[in-house]
Amino acid sequence: MNSRKHSAMIVGLSAAMLAGTLAGCGTSTSAAPPTKNISDITIGTLYAGSGAFATSSLPEYDGLKFWASQADKSGGVFVKALHKKVPIKIVAYNDQSSVTTATSLYSQLISVNHVNVLVADFGSVLTSVAVPVAEENKMVLFDQSGTGTTFFTPNNPYIVLTSLPNSGLWPDSLAQYLIGQHYSRVAILYDTNDFDQSQEQTLVSKLKAAGITPVYNSGVPTSTSSYSVLLNNISHANPQAVIEFGYPNNDISFLQALKASGAQYKMVFTIFPGQLPTLFTTSDGPSSINNIYTYPAPPLISHAHVNYGMNSSQFMAGYQQAMGHSANFLNIAGYNTGLIIQKTLETANSLSQLSLRHAVSRFSGTIETLDGKFQINSEGAQTGETLPVGKLTTNSAGKVSVDLVTPLS
Amino acid sequence: MLEYSIVAGILFGVFFGFMALGLNLIFGVMQVVNLAHGDFVVLGGYLAVIAYSAGHINPVVSLVGAFVLFFLIAFALYFPVIPRLTRSKDPEMLSLILFFGLSQIIEALDVIGFGNNPRSLPLAIMGAAPWHFLGQSYQMAWVITAIVSLVMIGATYLFLYYTRIGYAARAIMGSREEAAASGLPVAQTSAIIFGVGIGLAAMAGVLSPFMIGSIDPSTGLGLTTIAFAIVVIGSLGNPLGSVLGGLVYGVSVMLMQTYFSSWSDLVPYLLLLIIVLAKPSGLLGKGVRNA
Repeated sequence: MNSRKHSAMIVGLSAAMLAGTLAGCGTSTSAAPPTKNISDITIGTLYAGSGAFATSSLPEYDGLKFWASQADKSGGVFVKALHKKVPIKIVAYNDQSSVTTATSLYSQLISVNHVNVLVADFGSVLTSVAVPVAEENKMVLFDQSGTGTTFFTPNNPYIVLTSLPNSGLWPDSLAQYLIGQHYSRVAILYDTNDFDQSQEQTLVSKLKAAGITPVYNSGVPTSTSSYSVLLNNISHANPQAVIEFGYPNNDISFLQALKASGAQYKMVFTIFPGQLPTLFTTSDGPSSINNIYTYPAPPLISHAHVNYGMNSSQFMAGYQQAMGHSANFLNIAGYNTGLIIQKTLETANSLSQLSLRHAVSRFSGTIETLDGKFQINSEGAQTGETLPVGKLTTNSAGKVSVDLVTPLS
Repeated sequence: MLEYSIVAGILFGVFFGFMALGLNLIFGVMQVVNLAHGDFVVLGGYLAVIAYSAGHINPVVSLVGAFVLFFLIAFALYFPVIPRLTRSKDPEMLSLILFFGLSQIIEALDVIGFGNNPRSLPLAIMGAAPWHFLGQSYQMAWVITAIVSLVMIGATYLFLYYTRIGYAARAIMGSREEAAASGLPVAQTSAIIFGVGIGLAAMAGVLSPFMIGSIDPSTGLGLTTIAFAIVVIGSLGNPLGSVLGGLVYGVSVMLMQTYFSSWSDLVPYLLLLIIVLAKPSGLLGKGVRNA
């Protein structure tokens, strides 16, 4: 009897605590902003106008702006909570690639601009400071391309990864290909940051599970620009496949040094030629990425079953017309973020942040955009999109094509 | 791997010694720290990239154009800026602030003019076949870049030791007041040395895509840091110290990449710390500077 009383007391106490917690959440987060006076949906974001991440951040921001302009052309997006179409307004600040500046600007967007939707800047470095700010302020962070595995935890419901899978998942197809080709001598060179290191960890664990221990595995600082000695060290390990995980600047320098070294391997893999092929062909000529293996991304590949937003060819034509230049993957990533926000607003019953987050979970797995299937896990990490592995070929005119060596999901 | 690291480090270090030479010359003569040095290097790099992409002009030819153009720009910049700095009570500190501002302006102008994307040159311009030495293969672009850097270091040495302006510059490095009292044209010499220093930075910039892969507007700050570390390691104010500092830096980076690759970006700061603690006047010290 006593034990039953005791159990009942624990259950009661737990229920009270849970109710209290939920009530606490409700007072600060779920209270929807007053809807009567809303004349537009304000999206707050940052972009890097200069510095190390400007190359990637600006195109992503352009993609988001393109989405907003397209939505506003048709009178805005439908907001279920308001039962009407509402125009989109973007409030954006330049963080100059500085995490310190970004931290204060994310807070400013929330507490001064009172934005309805918060969108992170490009990549894991500038997103890493947005995650705690958003969580502390109980704002859902629409994370465009910050794929670091540490951002996604069971206790933080305030994050949604929109345009790329969690970086820990990226090398799944690469590992599958290496194992399938029976490459027993694999060399890995990676940058020591969240994005690249998590890929190295996944790849090494998958290779080891298949009985393959890399013959060379070394980390270098992200600022590395000289690869000659590193390539010489790799050549001493006599690998069949050389995998380099870096950012675009690293990939450019690595491929240049590889070409100049004259070394030949059965397979050379780097991340970004598949996302930003033009950047590579204009930097060091089309031959710099010929026969290089990579993760090809739209527009280099296209997803066939798009059921939400523009498909790849519509986007390329529309973007070219609106912006005056052709689109790359990062433009698509920014546009895709806009689509996810649009679907969220169409689905959410109120504009409270938890309602927005629940809405994302509700439509997760049901839409396919030009960037692939949108599906998140309970922690907000993207799991629907997978990155296939492809081999690039280029002609002298700079035209880049890709042969997929693992299937496109 | 050890031999390769050392030889590659020497090639790398000769270039970086050349890259830091202009910073050291300017400090030696004017006692001002040019924090925009790396940004002038980047501007030289852009000049080479544009000259090659627009007119297929070989970077070795662009070297001459870069020197002339940036010498004239620096000469024009000298008169409204540097005399005021050198007359102030604390020229070093004021120059830090002023040139930091100039660095920010150049970076912003780079973004407007050239965009944020990294720009590079095909390494094959300098020869596609690698150079074989002691059973190892080295990038031909590195070898040619190091040779050109050595030639320019030699030319700077001849300029300093066998020309009237060079004599005057060395006298000013020893003591600005005594040089002025001896009737040497301090202002004109300083202006020419400022032009030469910036011109050398731009020349190093022309070669930089071959050594550091690519350039973008944000590259300048990192290059300034490396150049500053190199001149402190060698000896602040002593142009020959830059060469020694560059070699120490280059070999250390390559050895670090081979044996402790994750820590290789700490090299300039570690060397700086060690030199400041063990021999604050730099490896060549003050005695050589005044010789």
